[in-house]
Amino acid sequence: MEAFFNDLAIMAPAVVFNIYFALASIPLGFVMAVFLALGKASSNPLINALSRGYIYAFRGSPLFIQFFMFYSLALSLNLTVWRPLGISGFVLHPLFMGPLVLVLNTAAYTAEIFYGALRAVPRGAVEAARAYGMSRSQQFRRVVWPNLIRLAWPAYTNEVVFLFHATAIVYFALPVVGPQADLMITAKTLFERDFNAFLHFSVAALYFLAVSLVVFFLFGLVYQRLMRHLPAQPGLRFAPKWLR
Amino acid sequence: MTHFRTVKPLPVLQEMLQPRKSGMFEDLAFWLGYITNGKHLTWYASFQFTIYAALLGGALAVVFGLTGATLKNSRFFVLRLVGSTYSSIVRGVPDVLFFLFFPLAFEQGVEWLVSTQVCSPEAIAAQTAPWPPCREANWFLGTTEYLLLASVSLGLVYGAFATNVIHGAMRAVPAGQLEAARAYGMSTTQVLWRVHIRQMWVYALPGLSNVWMLIVKATSLLSLLQIADIVLWADRLGAPNFLPTVGLVHDDWRWRYYLVLFVFYILVTWLSERAFEYLMRRTGRGILSEVRT
Repeated sequence: MEAFFNDLAIMAPAVVFNIYFALASIPLGFVMAVFLALGKASSNPLINALSRGYIYAFRGSPLFIQFFMFYSLALSLNLTVWRPLGISGFVLHPLFMGPLVLVLNTAAYTAEIFYGALRAVPRGAVEAARAYGMSRSQQFRRVVWPNLIRLAWPAYTNEVVFLFHATAIVYFALPVVGPQADLMITAKTLFERDFNAFLHFSVAALYFLAVSLVVFFLFGLVYQRLMRHLPAQPGLRFAPKWLR
Repeated sequence: MTHFRTVKPLPVLQEMLQPRKSGMFEDLAFWLGYITNGKHLTWYASFQFTIYAALLGGALAVVFGLTGATLKNSRFFVLRLVGSTYSSIVRGVPDVLFFLFFPLAFEQGVEWLVSTQVCSPEAIAAQTAPWPPCREANWFLGTTEYLLLASVSLGLVYGAFATNVIHGAMRAVPAGQLEAARAYGMSTTQVLWRVHIRQMWVYALPGLSNVWMLIVKATSLLSLLQIADIVLWADRLGAPNFLPTVGLVHDDWRWRYYLVLFVFYILVTWLSERAFEYLMRRTGRGILSEVRT
């Protein structure tokens, strides 16, 4: 029990890194995803092909490979580009590279969600907006976007949780700078010290679960706010049937 | 013209300005030789680990998914609890964590079991390292064992996702079909195997295709379990080399090798999509036409 609380204390600073990676990549990934989704729905063949290709490539390949690829690309550009500009320490730092790759990755997944929602926006609502004489941007802001985000929100919540889980592999691909270790690296170091897999990995898992639950709770609040025009859903009831 | 001849280039430049024996063809032969040297051939051979892990992991995920869905559908509350706990806990934890944890935990479990049989009290007392309990109980895992364990843990992790997919698909089978089967006098097992599970696939396939894509992408993590897989070899081959005796002298080429893997995975995704489309068409024969998308 003592060891358990010890681990909880040791991993408390580590979870901050995972949360940082997720927080740093969510907003930018969100914005990029909106543009990519609109690009995929665009009738301009060039924009359409580019967005489609981007989404397909980043959804179709492992994040682990993407990390290695972008990091080694940045490394090979180091002498010719980053060093002369004097930003090599910044660009090659995992706290910059990590969120960068995560943004590129999550933008593709989120764009696919938004694209699906965009296609599910009721046609009648858009037609009504056009009949009112709204401009294209007005249509998007007043009619398409509110519908889209409501449709996409539950799936987007899942994507954010997956993104948070994906932060677990950041430091397997990028170098660990000094004491800046995330949950997985901390658990692995502790494991290599006393080989107690059950304790250390369970504590790390507990942290991941706890943060995931917090994400579900917060995004649930936002969803309630988005859905405030509808009558409230009945809450969950715990009524187990022991035998049926 | 004469002016050019009189200027003597630097030695390095002189070497570069030497006329090539024969142009493009020689180059092509050189690069062909380079990408078929021993190290590269080992790299190509290591693709088998990825493929084995994906196929075995996928098969096990379906098995665990069916088991989990059966548990979730069980008549007994405890079994239902086991099924839903399995699917929600494993999905609530990053796949990497479970992927690393399971093989290590399994290894330690076996070592503990062995230690209860082979370790004498003296050997346990003499052991200074925290694990294993005694030297005789140590279990050395090679690539094959790690590959098997990695496949099982892929199956366990993605079996939790498959559990949800299959559970949903079982409930999507029209009740009338099952009633008709029962009306024909089929027993419960017959209804389950001949009608329920047969018709479930068409509803489960879109979800299972997603799970398969996740498994394929998770196979890139094999190198974390000391398996010399495609990622590890790409890293070795691309690392900068300054010794002519070791091979071609080049600077950091890793990103090119990772680009190849990037394209490889995209191709696998594309192929899987085609395969699942075919499966969907095949299983959807004669069933609801709207299921066939």
